[in-house]
Formats: sequence, C-alpha cells, structure tokens
Amino acid sequence: MPRLSDTMEEGTIGRWLVKEGDSFSEGDVLAEIETDKATMEFQAYDAGTVLRILVGDGESAALGAPIAIIGDQGEQVDGAAAADGAGAEAAEDAAPPAEAEAEAEPEAPSQPAATRPARPASNGSAAGVALRVSPIARRMADDAGIDLTGMAGRGSGPEGRIVKADVERLIAGGGGAPPAAPSQPPQPAPQADEVRELTPMLKAVAARMAQSKATVPHFYVESEIDMTRALALRAELNEGLAASGEKISVNDLIVRACAVALLEHPQAHRSYVDGRHAYHAHANIGIAVALDDGLIVPVVVATDTKTVREISRETRDLAGRAREGKLKQREIEGGTFTVSNMGMFDVANFEAIINPPESAILAVGATVARPVVVEGEIVVRQMMRVTLSCDHRACSGADGAKLLQTVKRLLQSPSLLLV
Amino acid sequence: MADMTYREALRRALDDELARDPDVFLMGEEIGRFEGSYKVTAGLWEKYGPVRVRETPISEEGFIGAGIGAAMMGLRPVVEIMTINFILVAMDQVINHAAKIRYMFGGTVGVPLVIRTPAGAGAQLTAQHSQSLEGWFAGCPGLKVVAPGSPADAYGMLKTAIRDDDPVLFVENLVMYNVTGPVPDDPDHTVPFGSAAVVREGTDLTIVAHSYTVQRALRVADNLSRDGIEAEVVDLRSLRPLDAETVAESVRKTNRALIAEEGWSTYGVGAELAARIHRLCFDDLDAPVERVGGAEVPMPYSKPLELAALPLEAKIEAAARGLLADSGITA
Repeated sequence: MPRLSDTMEEGTIGRWLVKEGDSFSEGDVLAEIETDKATMEFQAYDAGTVLRILVGDGESAALGAPIAIIGDQGEQVDGAAAADGAGAEAAEDAAPPAEAEAEAEPEAPSQPAATRPARPASNGSAAGVALRVSPIARRMADDAGIDLTGMAGRGSGPEGRIVKADVERLIAGGGGAPPAAPSQPPQPAPQADEVRELTPMLKAVAARMAQSKATVPHFYVESEIDMTRALALRAELNEGLAASGEKISVNDLIVRACAVALLEHPQAHRSYVDGRHAYHAHANIGIAVALDDGLIVPVVVATDTKTVREISRETRDLAGRAREGKLKQREIEGGTFTVSNMGMFDVANFEAIINPPESAILAVGATVARPVVVEGEIVVRQMMRVTLSCDHRACSGADGAKLLQTVKRLLQSPSLLLV
Repeated sequence: MADMTYREALRRALDDELARDPDVFLMGEEIGRFEGSYKVTAGLWEKYGPVRVRETPISEEGFIGAGIGAAMMGLRPVVEIMTINFILVAMDQVINHAAKIRYMFGGTVGVPLVIRTPAGAGAQLTAQHSQSLEGWFAGCPGLKVVAPGSPADAYGMLKTAIRDDDPVLFVENLVMYNVTGPVPDDPDHTVPFGSAAVVREGTDLTIVAHSYTVQRALRVADNLSRDGIEAEVVDLRSLRPLDAETVAESVRKTNRALIAEEGWSTYGVGAELAARIHRLCFDDLDAPVERVGGAEVPMPYSKPLELAALPLEAKIEAAARGLLADSGITA
C-alpha cells in the first residue's frame, strides 16, 4: 500500500483496473486507491504482469503492506510468498522461519515492484523536491516500512535532508507526522497549487535565518524615540541640498546614529565566534533592502567614518543596485550590525532575526505623530518604535540597553549626528 | 596503579626493558649525560652505562642506519629522534631499509628496531619543528606506527614495541610529556598493537583521535556533556595496524563520526579513517564523516597564529556541534 497522501495510515482499494494475468507498462494506472483525503490513481512503477491480487476491491490495507504480487508473464507464485503477502498484517508472527529474511527486508529489490511506493504522482507534495535521506535514516525507515517521499525536503538536516531524529519522530508519532508538528493533528503537506524551487538568494535567506534563530540566543530590547527634532533636521538638510538633488532619509540618520553608538559600546558590537568574542574597529552597517520576493542586505563599510550625506549617497546606490540584482559579493559581506527599517510599511514595530556572525540588528517601525507627556504637558510628538535584537552570547541585556539608549540620545539630539 | 607523567611512563618502560633484556640498548642525540632533550632517558645513562645508552653525533641517517644494522644482527635498539621533524633526513633508512628488509631478504631477517620520536606543536617552535607527520609513515607497509594517547598506553605500548620483531615508529608528543595518568604497576603490562580503545562512552557522536588530541577530545566531550550531548571518544593508539572495527562499532552506535588530529587533514589519518568508516558503516551514518586537523599552513611562530593554526578544543567542539546540527540536533 503506497503512501499517496501525507497523512494516510491505511488505504482502501477503490477498484482494480487490472486483473490477475494482465500485463502493464510503466505509468499505467493499476488501481484507484482511496486515501484519507481523496481517491488517487496508483501508477505502475515498472512494467510487469499481475500475478496475484492480495487486497481486493473495497478492502483496506496498512501502509507498506503488500496489495498485489507482480512479476514476469507466466511466472508462478508459490504459496508461501502469497501467504506471506496476504497475511501481511499478522505476517510477523505467522511467517515461517524460511520467510523471515524476506520479511525483514520489505524493500529488497526482489520484492514485487507493485508493493514499492509509487513514484510521487503529479499531485504529490514531493514534486520537484529532492529526497535527501541520511543512510541510517533510510535504513530505519525501510525497517519500519515508512515511505519518506512525502517528507522530501522537510528533514531537519542540511537542505532538508531527512535524518535519524526525523525518522525517530515519525516512528514515535505513528508514522504520519512530519517533525515540525509531532502533535496531532499531523501537519499536512502544503496544499500547494504550484511548487517552485527557491532562488539561490531565497535559499540562502532560509538557511541563514533558520540557523540564526535555531542557534543564536536572541533577546530583545525595545524603545521609543522622539523623532521630532530629527525630522526637523532632515527637513532643513534637504532644503539645503535641494539644488544637488540629494535627499537625506530618516534611515540615513538612524544608520549614522547606530554607527556612532556602536563605537561607543564595543561590548554590544562584537561577534561570538567559536567560543571567542571578535571585536570590530569600525561599524559596517548592513541595510536590509526588500526585494519583490526576498531581501538582501548590502553593507555600508566603516559607517562611523562617513558623514550623513556620504551614508545617504552610498545607501541609495547600494539599494538601487540591490533591486537590480547588481550587487557584488563583497558589498553584501562583512557587516557588523544591521538596520532593518519597515517604517514605510506602517508597521508599529517588529522583531528582527540577527544576521550571523553579526550580533545585533535594529528593527525600526513607522514614525507617527502621537500624544506624549513632556515635562508634565501632553504634546504631540513624532514617535518611532525600535526593537534591538541581540545575541546573548556576545552581549548582555545591559549592553544592548546601553546601545539603544545612545541611539535614542543621538536621534533626539540629532545635531550630534553631524559632528 | 600509580599516577605518573607520560614522560615517566616511557622512562619506566625503557628501564624495565633494559633490565629485562640485555639485547635492548638506546641510541640518540644527547640521551646520556644530558638525559635527552625532553628528559625521557633521565637517569638511564648512569644506571646502564654508555654502551647501552649510546650518544650519537647529529647524524640521523647514520644512527638510524646503525640501529637497523644492529637490529638485523639480533639486538633490539631503541633509537630516539629528537623530534619527528628530524627524521626527514633519514627517510631512506626508514622507508627503504627498515620497512623493506624483511621483504627484500625473503623473510630471513627482520628489523626489531624502535624509533621513538615526539610530534606535535604548541611551544612556538615554528614551521620546521612543529609537525605531526605520523600519517606519512602509517601509509607505508612494513612499518608499525603507534601514537598512544595516555601514560598507561605509553608504558604498555613502548614495551610491546621493544618486544616486537619488526620496525616500530613510536610517536610521542611534546605537550603530552607532562600529562599525568594512572599506570599499572605490573612490569609485564603490555598493550597490543592494532587495538583502539573506547576511552569515554557516549551515544550522540564518536570523536576519534590519537596521541595528545585524545586529551583534547576528552575535554571537548566534557564540555558537550554539559549541554546533554554525550560524545564517545575512541583513542586509536595504533595507526598501523589500524583498528577500524572498534571505530566502526562505535559509529554504528552513535551514527556520527568526527576525526580530530593535530596533523593536516588533507591525506591525513582522518582521511584514511573516513574512507574506512564510510565503507564499514555507510548505512549507519546520519551525517557525513567530519574531520578536524591543523591549519594547512607551515606552523607560524607568532603565538596567536600558532593557536589559530592548532586544532584546539574550540575547533573540535565547533565541528562536533556542526555534525550534530547536520543531524538536526542543537544544544
């Protein structure tokens, strides 16, 4: 009984489309099988002849149990093999000693082809995804009679390789549940109408972010910054620069503030690498740039040595080329800190995932006019919420808080950004 | 059992064998009055005299050749080469003579010679004096190559080496000389060649090492244990003959193998073992076999660079965690 849906534990033969003695070619539909989800066509894995049907129309069988014996035309099925197959559910007890070996290797090549799982059908979730399985995981799955094709690309090893731990979870969970959701109900395969390969960029993002979130102990520090004066400064700067066609953004001021603050707080500006702390003489600030599908983080090198105007020019150039896909590898490497600004999407605030080996990232929300209390008076100010994510192996909560405090101080006294 | 250093264990083995068998004698540079560069032979010159503890000129090719001749004539010379780096000037004697004579003479004459020599780095002795070349010799049929990773094995294996009827390269380690451990009191305690030892039991991965790297591997295992990861540590002890079966047995249990060595990984001991493990345990592996070795550069003199080039605990641990991460295990 092949696994034709990700969650089926047994299947029912709706009807056989071949009868004993019929020959068939690879790809022919042999039977319709009712799973827990739908009635599926069961296609032949290989050419052959039906020698014996073991599970008749309307009858059910557990996953992996033989439903038919196929072979060459005219080949005789000996009684023991047929009995072995027919009694599959109780075969372990019933099988005579001579059959023990065949029983122990349900996936052996000599086994009739129809009892092997069918290749993923066109509607299978595995379509287009490579099935990578570590040798021990493959052996354990074979021994347990578990078909892993439905798990293709969803193991917890590199590139979705299915590893021992995944199979252990499958066995413990009764053979149905993928590792992400061992609790019931089992998480079904994505009911996709279309499955696409990830672009190399999206693969890299997926791998890095998963690795970061799984291995870097994140903590988060939140603050709210009064941007009224920074906005006024920006307006003044842009008025003065109007003739040049250049425009300073709020983000340029934030990046400059981060660079200055990072140099003031080396403990919040170091990376945890192989049990050591790597310090950085300059703040190389990555700026997250959203693309149509995905993102990329070009780096402004030695931001601390650059003026707001230089940062602005460089960022504009990098972001423009990022969207055109024209960044050079060296322009997306070597960051020591990242600023991710989603203010333009009107988000109040959010928490960002650290981009290793960097040890922190600042998530910036939208600046909105809000009533706040200043010196006992309720006044309207331009407020911006920020969240700093830090690697706790690199710095302590206080280190992160101090960094954020300095960023806030600089942005609230923005002329400091110009000196 | 008495606790002693690796150096003392070697000295006791030499002393025992000199006393037990009058055919045993020592040869090497400054091993008598000066007691050897690393003091392994301290006191033996006074005890056994200049005939049985012979000082040689600085001429490795000459005195290894003399050792081979003496061995062919029935004596059991134990030649000290100050460090494994200096054996290179005597390669012809070691590879073309010591390792080949039994074969070239149709089995009629053997070479019961022991060459003792330390490998290893860590004392800023720089590029020409910090190598771990034992893998080169372990690739040569006709030689036996051992590199014990504890004082007890140093004692037991040096005695086995001296009693062996074929040439043995006995690889010690500079840092290892001061490592202390229990050594059996029994003067007939020997440790057979071709038998690796599980020196720490574990379930999650197997770390295979030899010589001083075993000590590093044990410390890494202790560190991992704090995070609930139990590493099994296998001390190869003997590189040729190589006991791949003990390694395989461990990997069949843990499903993950990491090989650590102080020498370069490329064409190294780990390369050989990785091939054996893949052959013996292919269906048992949950992740590709991983290797850690010294940085593939001539050993730098600068202390920070030397530390960076050595396969220290942090590197081994990172590789172990990487291997586990490949298996979906993070801690």
